[in-house]
Amino acid sequence: MSLQLTKPKALAYSLPALIAILPFLGACLYIFRFSISGEQSRIDGFSIQPYVDLMTPFFGRSVWLTLRLAFIATVLAMLMAVPLAFLLISLRSAFARRTLTIVILLPLILNLLVQAYGWILLLGPSGVLNSTLRSFGIIERPIFLLFNETGVLLGLVQTSLPLAVFPIVSAVRGISREHLEAASSLGASHWRIFFDVTVPLLRPGLFGAASIVFAFNASAFAIPLLLGGRRVQMMGIAIRDMISPLFNWSGAAAAGMILIFVTMFVMLFAAWLTRLASEKVERQNAR
Amino acid sequence: MTSDTHLHINNVSKRFDTVDALRDIDLKIERGSFVCLLGPSGCGKTTLLRIIAGFEAASKGSLILDGNDISNQPPHKRGFGMVFQSLALFPHMSVARNIGYGLKLRGIKGAAQRDRVEELLEVIQLPHIADRPVSALSGGQRQRVAIARALAIQPPLFLLDEPLSALDAQLRDNMQIELRQLQQKFGVTTVLVTHDQHEAMMLADELVVLKDGAIRQSAPPTQIYNDPADSFVADFLGAANLIDVGAIKGGAVDLFGTPVQSATPHQDGDNILAAVRAEHVGLTPVLSNGKTCVGEISFMRDLGAATEFVVAIQGKDLRVRRSSAEAQGLDIGSKVALTFDPAQVSLFKAV
Repeated sequence: MSLQLTKPKALAYSLPALIAILPFLGACLYIFRFSISGEQSRIDGFSIQPYVDLMTPFFGRSVWLTLRLAFIATVLAMLMAVPLAFLLISLRSAFARRTLTIVILLPLILNLLVQAYGWILLLGPSGVLNSTLRSFGIIERPIFLLFNETGVLLGLVQTSLPLAVFPIVSAVRGISREHLEAASSLGASHWRIFFDVTVPLLRPGLFGAASIVFAFNASAFAIPLLLGGRRVQMMGIAIRDMISPLFNWSGAAAAGMILIFVTMFVMLFAAWLTRLASEKVERQNAR
Repeated sequence: MTSDTHLHINNVSKRFDTVDALRDIDLKIERGSFVCLLGPSGCGKTTLLRIIAGFEAASKGSLILDGNDISNQPPHKRGFGMVFQSLALFPHMSVARNIGYGLKLRGIKGAAQRDRVEELLEVIQLPHIADRPVSALSGGQRQRVAIARALAIQPPLFLLDEPLSALDAQLRDNMQIELRQLQQKFGVTTVLVTHDQHEAMMLADELVVLKDGAIRQSAPPTQIYNDPADSFVADFLGAANLIDVGAIKGGAVDLFGTPVQSATPHQDGDNILAAVRAEHVGLTPVLSNGKTCVGEISFMRDLGAATEFVVAIQGKDLRVRRSSAEAQGLDIGSKVALTFDPAQVSLFKAV
């Protein structure tokens, strides 16, 4: 008897999950339908007007801002997550490992609102940082770290960090000590081992982590709203503004579809780029 | 014969927290020789190999290679080729790139590298697999590629950590012969770790038997086989009967009726263990039950060339191996007398 689930059995057990996903797919279809509606507030007729109306410099800036902030936040989060993952694995004591795991996981457990207000208390105009600096006479006017792009970036990096760390941890665990020792015995220094063996073996894990973080950041809503104020119009905010004060449902739906496709396009492009890069390395090494 | 020490393991000890993994290991390895570190799991053999490779630092003692102390040299500066238990071939590189990796690090590139890789693939008799990914290779092919990768850099020392343990018996036998031939072809000083006494006997010029972090005996295989230093070595090298023969009197013991003179001095009254190999026990059928030293065959199995017996005698079970011709007429339950050649019996003080 095979211990593995056969395909029909696996399918049967997956049914609840598939059913749970259905409403989401339904919603996507509904939004798509709304985005080509002839009316702004209800689904009626067909028109590409909602998309045409979005072709404005204002919306273009929003798309560009979203991609730019999500990209920078992803790079920063990955740069922080890789050493953190190695640290987590190097810890021998179970207590230290558990403590660090909980600290890293905390942003996933805490409500986003609480985290955002934490940043405001710390870095806001009358927050801990500004009042301390002012009391020492170092500054006269508060430094504005929040309610601008810096604030949004801080928030995005902090909230998405755990999403980056854990896939990298499992990728690092997958590298056997003997692979690293083999490279060492063949004459590779620590840095050579890192670039010749560790990074290539980590690449799929790193790419997976970066994809999750990028998608999470591109679709962020609470963080840009609370830490960016109205000035940082990421797409999530732009979509909400179309719904709430403007009641432009079809426009919001069209903007949502664009967000989905732009994110997917960037991720596919990145996947293609990574493959191209690794193939180029292969070719160079083969020569 | 003049001795030419290549590596001197100078009084090396290793302590992990509270455990002594190695105690005062002192070993001189001859240039070009094939040394097997043999012992049960947990005896410290792998730790010793990892200290030689530089992956572990000795707590005490030093490593002297050609007269130079290399104890503090990192592994990548030592440049010893190593074959790992998992083989550790790089999965993201082709066969050629795996073998060429050490060459690349030494600045050997382009045509020079390609020629050397091709030469090595010829040596391991796999000339057409250069561009294959490692994942497409069979177990034996991976084995050979791992060996080629380690030998490509022309290492001063060639280290192997139970490299054949993952192969099936047939392939392992063939690989042992190939490995030995390769080692002689390259003339490289080799240290191999194994728990398989047969493998160690097949490969080694010098066999080092370890137990509990200490060397129990270090000698050529035949010497260890014929003249084990203690009862552990005799037992571990397999197929030996260890018989408690009681106290020694006048330098001799009584082994089921055969007096055996001790070669090494033992005090009268010392309790003695006698070790004798299954193939060194003689078997003669007896009809009457008159003598006291008569045993009864409790098990026999024809193995083709030889027949293996278990003989119950005076409450002990002895393993006996004779040629199948001698087994004629014998059966389970047959009464037999056992004969011993005193020269082939080793006596140890029981501990």
